[in-house]
Amino acid sequence: MKAPDFSYFEAQNIQDAIKYKSEDDEAVILAGGQSLLPALNMRLSSPSCLIDISKINNLNEIKIEGDFINIGALATHSDVMNNDLINEKLPCLVDILKMVAHAAIRNKGTHGGSIAYGDPAAELPAFAVAMDAEIVLSGLSGQRIVNAKDFYRGLFETDLKSDEILIAIRYPFLSHNQHLIFDEVCRRHGDYAMAGLMARVELDKSKINNLDLVYFATGDKPNIAQNTAKLVIDDRYDYEKLKKSLASEIDFAGDLNSSSEMKLHLATILINKILNKLER
Amino acid sequence: MDDIKVNQNPKLGSMDRPNSYIGRSLPRENAKKHLEGGGQFVDDLVLPRMLHVAFLRSPFAHAEIKSINVEEAKTSPGVFDVYTSKEIDEFCTPWVGTLGHLGEMRSPEQTPLAKKIARWQGEPIAVVIANNRAQAEDALELIEVDWEEKDAQVDMETALDDNAVVIHPELDSNLFWTRTVNQGDVNQAFETSHAVVETKLDFARHTGVTLESRGIVADWNKSEGKITIYHNGQAPHMMQHIIAKHLEVNEGLVRIVSRDVGGSFGIKVHVYPDEMAVAAISKKLGRPVKFIADRLESFTTDIHARCHKISGKLGVDKEGKILAMEINDLSGIGPFSMYPRTSAIETNQVLNLSGAPYVIPNYKAVGTVVFQNKTPMCQYRAVGHPIAVAITEALVDKAANKIGISLSEIRKKNFIPDTAYPNKTPSGVPLEDLSHQASMDKLLTMMNIQEIEKEKIANLDKNVLSGYGVISMCEVTNPSPLFYGVGGAHISSQDGASIRLEGSGAIHLSSSITEQGQGTEAIMKQIAADQLGVSMDSVRVTLGDTDATPYGGGTWASRGAGIGGEAVLKAARTLKDNILDIAAAIMQTDKNSLDVENNTVIRKNGGEGITLQQLAETVYYRGHELPKGTNPELLATASFLIEGIPFVFTNSAMGCKVSIDQDTGIIKIDKFWAVEDCGTQINPKLVEEQIRGGVIQGIGGALFEECVYDDQGNMQNATMADYLVPMAYEMPDIIVDHVTTNSGRSIIGAKGAGEAGTGGAPAVIMNAVNNALKHHGTEVLSQPITPEKILKALRKI
Ligand SMILES: Cc1cc2nc3c(=O)[nH]c(=O)nc-3n(C[C@H](O)[C@H](O)[C@H](O)COP(=O)(O)OP(=O)(O)OC[C@H]3O[C@@H](n4cnc5c(N)ncnc54)[C@H](O)[C@@H]3O)c2cc1C
Repeated sequence: MKAPDFSYFEAQNIQDAIKYKSEDDEAVILAGGQSLLPALNMRLSSPSCLIDISKINNLNEIKIEGDFINIGALATHSDVMNNDLINEKLPCLVDILKMVAHAAIRNKGTHGGSIAYGDPAAELPAFAVAMDAEIVLSGLSGQRIVNAKDFYRGLFETDLKSDEILIAIRYPFLSHNQHLIFDEVCRRHGDYAMAGLMARVELDKSKINNLDLVYFATGDKPNIAQNTAKLVIDDRYDYEKLKKSLASEIDFAGDLNSSSEMKLHLATILINKILNKLER
Repeated sequence: MDDIKVNQNPKLGSMDRPNSYIGRSLPRENAKKHLEGGGQFVDDLVLPRMLHVAFLRSPFAHAEIKSINVEEAKTSPGVFDVYTSKEIDEFCTPWVGTLGHLGEMRSPEQTPLAKKIARWQGEPIAVVIANNRAQAEDALELIEVDWEEKDAQVDMETALDDNAVVIHPELDSNLFWTRTVNQGDVNQAFETSHAVVETKLDFARHTGVTLESRGIVADWNKSEGKITIYHNGQAPHMMQHIIAKHLEVNEGLVRIVSRDVGGSFGIKVHVYPDEMAVAAISKKLGRPVKFIADRLESFTTDIHARCHKISGKLGVDKEGKILAMEINDLSGIGPFSMYPRTSAIETNQVLNLSGAPYVIPNYKAVGTVVFQNKTPMCQYRAVGHPIAVAITEALVDKAANKIGISLSEIRKKNFIPDTAYPNKTPSGVPLEDLSHQASMDKLLTMMNIQEIEKEKIANLDKNVLSGYGVISMCEVTNPSPLFYGVGGAHISSQDGASIRLEGSGAIHLSSSITEQGQGTEAIMKQIAADQLGVSMDSVRVTLGDTDATPYGGGTWASRGAGIGGEAVLKAARTLKDNILDIAAAIMQTDKNSLDVENNTVIRKNGGEGITLQQLAETVYYRGHELPKGTNPELLATASFLIEGIPFVFTNSAMGCKVSIDQDTGIIKIDKFWAVEDCGTQINPKLVEEQIRGGVIQGIGGALFEECVYDDQGNMQNATMADYLVPMAYEMPDIIVDHVTTNSGRSIIGAKGAGEAGTGGAPAVIMNAVNNALKHHGTEVLSQPITPEKILKALRKI
């Protein structure tokens, strides 16, 4: 379990990193290393070079920009959890991050790394999609912004171009009648979930006006369940009906800890859990 | 000083005297050392000219090596050489994992590297020797093997079928070993039974996940003809014999050093092909060679355990008294029986221990052990116990439910009474000094089952089901020569201790028992200081070095305190006796008027004494001052061995309460209780650590751990992310208490305490889960009990 040979480049600024990356197809970005380094040690990939962006200044800033909270790519999970602004404006993210791995990993793993890697079982990509976040990418031809919904394309496949680096994620503020509610089911605390759900709910008094359901650990990417969300708005929780709808909307992919039918079941009951949380 | 008093053993003296350390929860010094990173593990060792190895391992469960080309790998940067079995076999003779005392076992010869056929995914077939591990791994990718995949016999249930793949054609079938125990007449007893219950349980393979993975540094010194092996094993003298025998080195010139070891659980008491290859390479090259297993290798090559399917039947009369028990167990052990302890012991223990707490006049047990193309399986903490206890206790619960008596009542009705020892297990193994009745009574007081029942009923209509279980069990500890030695294995059942008073007044103690993190060093110190009358900090301990310690068995089968501790006690008493003789001569008084307290020889009726330092200085530096004829021996050595019975048994009673979320299938252990009778507790805190740690490993087996294989015999979850062990969040409160019945086999009276938790927890958790599911008329009979199995049982998916 030793990584194959690679060269190492410590980028001092974003431009250097982009330049270096555009010149070498086989080079990869290294942020917190919590996903990349295990993969290297298992020799699952053998990049030519690691472009370490973790020393770039100011890429971990968390700040308000217009109607958005902007989280710099290099903010670690712990940075985010301990940030006053996040605790005030986006407290649900703190609760979500408590379910991401364990403290030691959260001290190194970055927000941008998790979003860029796009692990279908990870919490943050689904969160970004549910929040309708904007993903800020920087490449040779400058900056562009991609909506999180469009960023995830397939299994570990994103819209990130080979010369691009993810530099920030911009989350729109939730208005007073909007709530982001989340739940997940895992075998052990801190594990990747067997199934998880991010729900953005817009309430009109106690009636649900608008609902987005985004699942993780269910398929190849954050799975949006649009039709099911409509059913929930119409007649709230009906297990059989919702299960049928989810089965037709999402291609559930089983894994070691839960079969596809297990995931379908959990995805269904997660809606009930979310609705119960909403009532509280 | 923490004064958790245990029932005092009269043979050990009063707890009120100075330096009475036996029975006290003293902190252990080496915990601080490890916390500060001051330990010295095998991988910390760097020797001049040391080489590193990486093994090419079979990617297939069963395949023929048509050809293998290592030429390109040899040219890879930093590579010293690349060997296959041809080069290694010249320096290491093959071995066979069979013993003679348990009936016919059949297992073929095994060599460090597979010759023509690989028989499990992970079996080593070639080895790269390089300047560092990374370079060795780079070169692995350049070895070209022309594989021809063969059908694999993965499933143990079809291993004896006519169309099974016979893994060793020379053995004509995949049968390794079988045994039948038959006491009384079960068939007749079942016929006359008022009620007969049956069940069938399934236990997944799991493994012992040690914090420190297996590791070895072998250092052949050609000019001395001596090989030194730094090895994180449990039984240095056993390894000394093995290395001498298979490397053909004079046994007296083999030194095994096993100092700090980061957990073992039985995983590190076996002979592994890769480690033997490393020793052979060092002998071939005359250079030190290091191998540290990485996590992936650990999962596919450390022994696995527990792969069993067992059916059972229990007959009871109207009152619930057991009339007969019958079990039939099948186990798959991979392609080889492990050396030198064999892979028969787990099944043997299942047959020996099922029904052990109870009077069962008619008992029949059949065990069948087969080969298959998976990682070899062998003894791991609580060998066989989880299976034996789970089948027994599941049947007892079923019988209680069937005739309508409580879970505790049926047990109390059937226990071998505490006053009826010596006695025997239903299989005929001798039992002594046990206390199932007292332990169960204590457990029930701790648990308050009435409260739990109330809560259970209150929860019946809720989403969360609650359930509870209680069990009783026997734990094999302190084995005698009848365990291995009688079968021809060079595994010592005797242990030695050597203790000396040094010129400075310090005490040095060495023992053949080893430390893997459980606190061996601490309890040895406590015994020595207690018996000598010196402070704890004046005793220094050396363990785990065949050149520096007495000969003996090492640490396994919960034998350290009961056997090794008794040797320390005996040696310390002899040394004290010598000290008093010398002091009596110097002080010109009667020996009986003297004693040792706080490192000083005192006069019992007052007056000036002399310190041990003064005494030692006189003996060592001014011996001429001693009266003529004084025996100046300040070194004492003693040994101890359990004789006449196969094992000294410990017993425990355990209970737990669980909650099951009907939506998710997630099981939460709300609370766990354990009552253990391990006789004298030398350090109650360490005993409780053993029980708690054991329970956690039992929770692992019951709810989480499984080596998952696909149909082709590929292990699917060989990483710590996918192989689930319980972590802090999954650990419940574990409340521990004791009943103390000293073993009559020794002065110290200690029985083992290392394995009951692991042996009993799976049974009591399974019973509690099924107690909860009973309301829905369903049950789960397969471990680990996963959320998915729960949801299937509840027909939710
Ligand atoms: C034991 C364990 C448990 C875990 N459990 C969870 C969990 O429950 N939930 C969860 O969500 N995650 C979990 N993780 C993953 C953890 O959150 C990772 O830290 C995170 O997913 C990746 O962040 P990183 O900074 O470590 O990225 P790295 O490992 O450095 O990089 C990951 C990938 O993203 C790319 N990348 C990183 N940053 C950028 C960027 N700015 N621009 C472009 N590409 C980039 C890299 O090239 C690489 O391909 C776990 C990890 C471990 C080791």
